[in-house]
Amino acid sequence: MNTILTSLRRTPYQTFAALSVLFFTLLLSGGIFVTLTFLQGLLHYVETRPRVIVYFQVKTLEEDIFAIRDKVEATNKATEITYISQDEAYKIYKEFTENDPLLLEMTSPDILPASLEIDAVKPEYLPEIAELVSGMPGVDEVQYQKDIINNLLNLTSTIRKTASFFFAYLMFMSIIVLTTTLSFKIALKRDEIQVLKLLGATNNYIRAPFVNESVTLGIIAAVAANAILIGTMLTLNAVLTSFFAGIPELTIFINSIALQVWPFNLAFILFTLGVTAIFSLFITLISSYAATNRYL
Amino acid sequence: MISFQNVSVRYPLGNVALEDATFEIEDNEFVYLVGPSGAGKTTILRLILHDLIPTEGVVTIDDIEFSSKKFNKVAELRQKIGVVFQDFKILADDSVFENIAISMEIKGYPENEIRKQVEEALSLTGISNKKMLFPAQLSAGELQRVAIARAIVGNRKIILADEPTGNLDPKTAWDIMNIFKKLGKSKTILFATHNTDIVNSMRRRVLVLKDGRITKDNKKGGYKQ
Repeated sequence: MNTILTSLRRTPYQTFAALSVLFFTLLLSGGIFVTLTFLQGLLHYVETRPRVIVYFQVKTLEEDIFAIRDKVEATNKATEITYISQDEAYKIYKEFTENDPLLLEMTSPDILPASLEIDAVKPEYLPEIAELVSGMPGVDEVQYQKDIINNLLNLTSTIRKTASFFFAYLMFMSIIVLTTTLSFKIALKRDEIQVLKLLGATNNYIRAPFVNESVTLGIIAAVAANAILIGTMLTLNAVLTSFFAGIPELTIFINSIALQVWPFNLAFILFTLGVTAIFSLFITLISSYAATNRYL
Repeated sequence: MISFQNVSVRYPLGNVALEDATFEIEDNEFVYLVGPSGAGKTTILRLILHDLIPTEGVVTIDDIEFSSKKFNKVAELRQKIGVVFQDFKILADDSVFENIAISMEIKGYPENEIRKQVEEALSLTGISNKKMLFPAQLSAGELQRVAIARAIVGNRKIILADEPTGNLDPKTAWDIMNIFKKLGKSKTILFATHNTDIVNSMRRRVLVLKDGRITKDNKKGGYKQ
């Protein structure tokens, strides 16, 4: 370890350049990774809760609403149907607007519509249920998550494609900078390498100090980038808590293993750290092998 | 045993570095390679070290032929050989101890064995008191002692010495020769030099080279120009 630190100290500018590039690459990659996991978690949350909400005209009789409910039940495509009366809708509205009395004053139970919340057996039934109820008497509006899911899918896909390009670019740039930096150092030690080869050193023996040095830089950069990422996550915790109000948790599945993304937890933080560490290891190993191969 | 069978080294522009060299060197034999500059002494050493590939002929050590470009156990071969260069080739950033120890680290020796053998080599070469110094703090003679110590540690069977006294004053050169004498018959030594006094100081086999050819193989030792 002392040898590595001495070598890094002897070339401060090259070390700083390599460390900066690695740090920014890992920070940006980590940020994109966290964003993508959140979107994936949100998508999964919405997908696993297929729900149609049917709003009725304000003067629709309860018997008509219950008749519609029974028809939907008869299809066996709903797991649960909840009736929200106008009074209950007002109660919910009161809870949402408790900090804004003006909004509450402007509203009465009469103007809020009654509704049915229909949880479908699977997302594919959503259009069928929506189509069934939309033509029935008293139905004012039918909403389901098709648009939300489509939007989330589009957003996730766009971010994933952009992120892939970005990842590739960042990785390429980091490898080039790190390879160039290491090449300078190796060029300075060309005579030393020649002597080691004549003494019978294997390529791996000669390569080891350079690989160790770049991996050390990678570890330092990964730790620093993750410290900033974790700090940012904790800072944004309050904002996200209010943003995700009503969503108890977001989970992603990696090869059927569940990982809770939200609320932040140690497992997710360690997972992010692991991903950035592996990414950093990949960059540093490729760079050090590319740089040393020119002289072996 | 080192064996050269009809070995030639010719460069693309027609220069001949070695022409049809055939000889054998037994284990633990001390052989002088004598001749003027450009005679082919260093070429022979480089061939043994697989630092050069012959254009013709076969070079073997212990019946292992390694004169082909396809030979892929170069590191393994070189780990059997210790080299002493005229220009020392000591690692500038490492101490005397580290410079010698590296020869054993390459071969994967454990730390306690490295310490033991390095101390012995330092004692044999008379530089025990310099082990913590760095190359910039040493004289030419001391640097050459470091190079010899590096060549003999780690159970290297063959020592190649390429003009090891070439850059040294006469007194230091004799001191260096005394170290080679102390090595006695424990290793195979090829000692390239053009200094006849040194060759005649020890009655050992002499291979005389001129213009890339072996002109004489004097097994009784001694050399007259």
